[in-house]
Amino acid sequence: MEKQTNKFKYAQLERFKESIELEHLKRKTIIVNILMIAFALCLTYFLFRDEVEPRKIYPAIIMLVIIIIINWVFASLEFDLYSNLKLAMYITIMGVFSTTLLLVLTFMTPSIFTLLFFAYAVASVYQDNKSMMLSSLSLMITGTILILKNPSMFSLVGNTSPQIFYVLVFLIVFVMLLTLSSYILIKRKTFFYNQIASIKESEIRNILLAEEMASLKSKHQIDVNEYFTSLKTFSDHLSEKIGIENVFSRKIDILKDLQIKKPIELLDKYKDYNLEELEALNLMELKVNEKMMILAEKASKSNDIIVSRKEIFSEAQFKSFAHYYDSTYTKIISFAVFYTLLKLDKQYLKGLEDEEIKDILYNSEFFYKIDRSIIDVYLNNNDVFNTIVDDYMKGGM
Amino acid sequence: MKTLINRIRHSEFLTFSEVLRLKVTIVNVFLMVFVLLSVFVSKTNNFSWNMSILIPVGFGFLLVFTFLLTVVNLNRFAMHISILTIIGLTAYYISGSDYFFTYILFFVSLTVIIFYQDILTYLLYGGFVTIAGVYYVYINSAIMIGANSTHGIIVSSLTYQAILIGFYVVFLIQFLLSDSIYEKLNNEYVRMNKALERYQDFSYSHLSEIQEKKKIKPIYENPDFQKAISELSIFINEFFEEKGDNIAEVVEFYFFLHSQEVEEVIEDAKLPSITRRYSLELKKYLLNYRSELYSILYEFTTLFKGDDHFDEQRYEYNLDKLFENRIDKLLSLAILYKYLKTEVTQYDKWSKINRKLTHEEITEMFVSKEFREFISFEQVNFYLDNEELFKDFL
Repeated sequence: MEKQTNKFKYAQLERFKESIELEHLKRKTIIVNILMIAFALCLTYFLFRDEVEPRKIYPAIIMLVIIIIINWVFASLEFDLYSNLKLAMYITIMGVFSTTLLLVLTFMTPSIFTLLFFAYAVASVYQDNKSMMLSSLSLMITGTILILKNPSMFSLVGNTSPQIFYVLVFLIVFVMLLTLSSYILIKRKTFFYNQIASIKESEIRNILLAEEMASLKSKHQIDVNEYFTSLKTFSDHLSEKIGIENVFSRKIDILKDLQIKKPIELLDKYKDYNLEELEALNLMELKVNEKMMILAEKASKSNDIIVSRKEIFSEAQFKSFAHYYDSTYTKIISFAVFYTLLKLDKQYLKGLEDEEIKDILYNSEFFYKIDRSIIDVYLNNNDVFNTIVDDYMKGGM
Repeated sequence: MKTLINRIRHSEFLTFSEVLRLKVTIVNVFLMVFVLLSVFVSKTNNFSWNMSILIPVGFGFLLVFTFLLTVVNLNRFAMHISILTIIGLTAYYISGSDYFFTYILFFVSLTVIIFYQDILTYLLYGGFVTIAGVYYVYINSAIMIGANSTHGIIVSSLTYQAILIGFYVVFLIQFLLSDSIYEKLNNEYVRMNKALERYQDFSYSHLSEIQEKKKIKPIYENPDFQKAISELSIFINEFFEEKGDNIAEVVEFYFFLHSQEVEEVIEDAKLPSITRRYSLELKKYLLNYRSELYSILYEFTTLFKGDDHFDEQRYEYNLDKLFENRIDKLLSLAILYKYLKTEVTQYDKWSKINRKLTHEEITEMFVSKEFREFISFEQVNFYLDNEELFKDFL
């Protein structure tokens, strides 16, 4: 059965992941453009050498300048910057390979052939799956055609019968190793983007979960009216101290109204405010909206967290039932406890049916938190698991 | 082979040492190809029969040694041996007469080193290989010039050297970039992870207080629950051991640990090492504190909580960025202060969630460097200028 890996992902994940990636993509675009400028400058140096005809170099320099201009144009378009930079990335990779191929075909010497490796290196800076495939294919195809169609190109003064087979094998190994290296690196990097995006959403949900438990415990509700009274008194004294009229009071009135009405419904009442301003105020409202509560809870609990360098690269940071240093018994017991708890009614989550548990464990990242051989046992025998727990836990918790 | 491909496909879920082991295995496969090729190179280079056999066999031994190192989990050592093997192979090929493919082999050596994605290893071995490659071109520049070339020795030699150095430098930049991104992401992840643990601590404490108030017995004391875990564990273990019930004793020990001070058990040198080892392993999954098991359970629960709403400000917590209007910024600061001073957000001295922050604690928080995540310098200055008003009226 095909895994549906997106089935149990937070819905907000993709959009936030994109915003994290965009930040890094901007940096990579700048670095690649600096490298292209350096490449163009190196080529310019050869213009001043008597041994090289300038007309052979000009087209390559012009192509590089065009690619840099394209990058600059795409980066300056503010609308959908992520897609623009991605497009600029593909154009750059194709452009750099075309430029190097042009140089190889112009000079047809063994030394210039390795410029294709340099083009591959430049493309690798992007660390992107599609660009990696694009550059690997470009190098593989152009390299193989050049080697097979122009073997004489590799003849040296000191050796006129080059071992083309070896060059081809080396090229294949070169491409395969670098592709695998990029593949593993990109997979792990993407995993981190996912984890960061996921943990940001998880933070909100964990704060809400803790609040849900707190309200179960004490039935306490925020006394919003007392907040308004305090804010009013505070703002009166503040205005008096500064010597201006109370600019807060009208906003406090709007906050009161936002408890019962949506921003758009208040446009008629507060004609001097536009929707954007009312929506900004809505973020501060405490009774219906959660933003300020989440912010304050986060501020009160996570402000003094310190991360040491040792912790950054510690594998213990990843919580799972499959730590490689644990024995099989520990992995089995921890999963058995987890599964049983999922089946039972809890204050914060009702007991789940086995089919639902199986669906989530198979189609979510929780699959990778459980030892592979143990999850396989469960997936193939879930009905037995279900029966055992049902038999013993008929009465619930 | 299928396992190897599967491990590559799911490499993001492997630990650092598992990834390193996987990489050493892949490099070993490629090195095997080179070692086999070196047999034929020996022939073309007219080496003596003994040399043609002995040298590839020697490299073959190095590969076996590397493999054995991965078996005993000495993956880093195995990585160094595999890099030294490819450098050795390059040195061996230098003795050959095809200068161009020897030059290409410098790139392949760099590729193997790049494959490990370790910046220090790359600086050390990669730097050495690049310098050696540049020197190789320098001493062979007269014979490495292309038969088609019309540009002379200097341009040819410069091209060879510039491309090799350029290749090394670009990958060095890629390393620095990916290292900084990786470290930043990892730092953020660990910090967030610690924050999650705090929220989960609160969830667990609330839950315990509810159970205490309602006089509900903890689940781990429920005999039916214990029997269910024991039965399930035995069932799973039957797929791993002939005598599945061998695990029953460890399950019993797991529940016994709930009534013990686990740290004391782990540190008690008089106890058998196996007891201490299981205590250390099982501690993560105990049910009498907010353990790793509870963290995963709460994580699982969050799949059913929250909404699907997303806006650009969803994960923004800085009042200065959330609000554009200056009055809004100050008003939100006052609300934040009021919330922290009015609502219960802290543990008291009896470890119950029953305490509000005092004005002094809030002030200390506001002025701390870490709190710039929430409020700006301008807001802190406003607060300090009007601290008495905040204290008296909010």
